[in-house]
Amino acid sequence: MVDDPTRDDDVQSGSESVGAERDLPSREILELDHVYEALGHSRRRYLCYTLLERAEWSLTDLATKIAAWENGVPEHAVTGLQRERVYVALYHTHVPKLADDDVVTLDESTETIVAAENATQVLAALEGMGTTLDSNQETHARGEMDNDKQR
Amino acid sequence: MTNNGRTTTNNDNEIERNGSDLGRDTRRRQVTQRHYDPARDGELTTAIVFAVAEAEGVSPSEVTSPPLYDSVDVAAIEDAFFGSESESEPRRGAGVVEFRYVDYLLKVRSDGWILVCESTGVDPS
Repeated sequence: MVDDPTRDDDVQSGSESVGAERDLPSREILELDHVYEALGHSRRRYLCYTLLERAEWSLTDLATKIAAWENGVPEHAVTGLQRERVYVALYHTHVPKLADDDVVTLDESTETIVAAENATQVLAALEGMGTTLDSNQETHARGEMDNDKQR
Repeated sequence: MTNNGRTTTNNDNEIERNGSDLGRDTRRRQVTQRHYDPARDGELTTAIVFAVAEAEGVSPSEVTSPPLYDSVDVAAIEDAFFGSESESEPRRGAGVVEFRYVDYLLKVRSDGWILVCESTGVDPS
């Protein structure tokens, strides 16, 4: 209705191209499904936070860290059962999903995960939202490591 | 990745016949059952793997290959049956999802019961 074709020239001669870029996110932004999939569960977010610190983790260490965070206890106080519950969920759901999206790869023989091709993109998104959405999680994921160093 | 966990795509008729009476399946022997308690188990995946471990007589962390992820989207079942309830009341719909995992037929019921059955007599291949 307001779109008068005769006005096209005016608009285009001005800031039309710039405006279009502002209104419509780039293709790379729109096609971030794997980023949202990767970060769509608190345990996967925690796992990705730990990748910010180190690119390689054993599943057992990861399970211990996550169990400590979820139960609000230090890592040395995590029980075997608490660790096993998390370990099983990592192994059967979260790590295969992240591997599907090329965020991590799992070395079956050593049960170690390593950051993969898409990890950079996911971690960039995570760092961007970490300050507002998940600051507690991030603080814990990093803080525990600082504590470990001090011990 | 090998895919030994099979979903029951060629077994739909059987599911339909059995689906109406949740879990009461006379043709398959039930090996074990476990009630999914979100407060204790956390994720449904954990409860399912613990049930399979009990059926196999091993510890849960020894149930490794293949991952459940290769058989079924457990997170989707968790969402469908146990996910975001309305403010105060749980959903009332009753249902069951069946799928194959290694040598077992697993049933996850909307009331939280996970049944592990031997899937003998059916050759999925």
